[in-house]
Amino acid sequence: MNTVISDKKTIFWLVAPGFILIAAMIFIPIMVSLYYSLTDWDGVTDYRFIGLSNFIEIVTKDAVFWKSLLNALLLGLGLVFVQHPLSVLTAMVVPYCGRFEKLLRASFFIPSIISTFVTTQLWVSVFNTQFGLLNRLLERLGLEAWKQDWLGDPKLAICCMIFVCIWQGFGYAFLLYYAGIKGVPKELYEAAMLDGATQAQVHGHIIFPLLAPVVRVNIILAVVAAFKQMETVYLMTGGGPADSTQFLSTYLYSKAFREGLYGYGNALSILLVLICLIMTVLLNRALQKDVGEY
Amino acid sequence: MRTRSLPRLLFVVLMTFLVLAELFPLVWLLNFSLLRSGDFFGSSILKWPNPPMWRNYADAFKGAHITLLFMNSLLVVFLSIGLIIACSIPMGYAFTRMRWKLRGVCFSFIMAGMIVPIYSTLLPNFILFKETGILNSYLSLILPYAAFAIPVSLFIITGFLETIPRALEEAAVMDGLGIPGMIVQIILPLLKPAIATVAVLAFLNCWNEFIMAVTYIDKDTLRTLPFAVVYFMGQYSSNYGAQFAVLAIIAIPSILMYLLFTDQITRGVTAGAVKG
Repeated sequence: MNTVISDKKTIFWLVAPGFILIAAMIFIPIMVSLYYSLTDWDGVTDYRFIGLSNFIEIVTKDAVFWKSLLNALLLGLGLVFVQHPLSVLTAMVVPYCGRFEKLLRASFFIPSIISTFVTTQLWVSVFNTQFGLLNRLLERLGLEAWKQDWLGDPKLAICCMIFVCIWQGFGYAFLLYYAGIKGVPKELYEAAMLDGATQAQVHGHIIFPLLAPVVRVNIILAVVAAFKQMETVYLMTGGGPADSTQFLSTYLYSKAFREGLYGYGNALSILLVLICLIMTVLLNRALQKDVGEY
Repeated sequence: MRTRSLPRLLFVVLMTFLVLAELFPLVWLLNFSLLRSGDFFGSSILKWPNPPMWRNYADAFKGAHITLLFMNSLLVVFLSIGLIIACSIPMGYAFTRMRWKLRGVCFSFIMAGMIVPIYSTLLPNFILFKETGILNSYLSLILPYAAFAIPVSLFIITGFLETIPRALEEAAVMDGLGIPGMIVQIILPLLKPAIATVAVLAFLNCWNEFIMAVTYIDKDTLRTLPFAVVYFMGQYSSNYGAQFAVLAIIAIPSILMYLLFTDQITRGVTAGAVKG
């Protein structure tokens, strides 16, 4: 047995294909990106090395870069303080909904499963000024004065964007907590109830502490996802109006492909990787003390 | 919940509100996909389609080349899933069952792939694909789709393998079965639930992927389903009914997937998230 399970040749052939694929599609591209980030390449003609100039320019002069980080932070706050509390609460209630349980679960999750492309186009229509659902609803409720050009106003557009992200991701967040709660052993509830605890006490003192590790992971994922955000923005507003809904990934995309600043785009790309790495490590550290065990 | 009625009422109201918030836009979408374009304007929120314009769906199907895009998506997604499974099962086996020095290092390297945002590889991959000539081919989607799905898949598969006792394998080795034979004959059948989870998760991610599909492919005959957006925007800029029909057509397979594979999806989503 021992010679079989430590045969180097077999191990190589088992691991190599996947390993090479990941290296070639994820890690080598990042190295390539790092290389171009030090140049002023436009994607077509000759280029020269300009050292860290791109990075210096981004950090010191590029207001849109800071704007995109601020947007990511706002989205992260929206996810952590609106989406997640709501989904924890919902996940605690849904198991008691009897025959509605399945229906509720499906209603919450279906928007998450439909392609972003469909949901964003749907919301663009909802926010439409001419036939959009939102303005029509306001009209119906007699709130004519509240009608807006939702995606045309820079301040409103970012709020709409965050709302759509919360709406779309709600099902995912809900499902994670719901599965966590379903995983809590039944005996725990029963023991507590026998001891005379109320429903609220059971939830507050038993279920919520047990959920803590799940909450920790989800908060990290949500914040990192906020910094990674691209598809919803790209499809809904393309970063506009006037860069007001720009995120780092949409920004690097438009710098490279629309403005032809390929080197500059790659520098933004490298910063995106770094920021995601730093956020993951920092959040992991900061939330470490919440970890609980069954 | 039965003991006190005020909190109960509150929860009912909250749940109803959330269900409406999550589903109403989709109902609105379906409703409008059956309307005549002229019916769009006015003050009513939902309109009884009279008569329902099934023609919108027929128009959408033809105008947005749904059949072609659908087949392309299917091909790309299934080849990606095949590659993901073909790579992650042998890897999972080597990581859980075999003894080698670089195991820990290799595993962390692959798991690091989960932190890297897909979008940071868009620019360099565009250039690398152009240089190697795979830009504008199915390969330019299959390879990155597979690469980005392998870390999560490996995570699910190793987790599952840990729960399988080793006695069977030891007996098989005694009988003279080699590692490849053992993976195919013993491990593969046992792994079925994990494979289903991996496949469903990969399906959803690849089926809905948009940015890479737009960046790496610009040949009309190779486009995948989400690209129907561009067709309908160009062709149906005023035919809102057909636009909504395109959206409904694209949404339906995902909803069917959910209804068919709820359990696998739940397992996949939760397993994918516990990676921390």
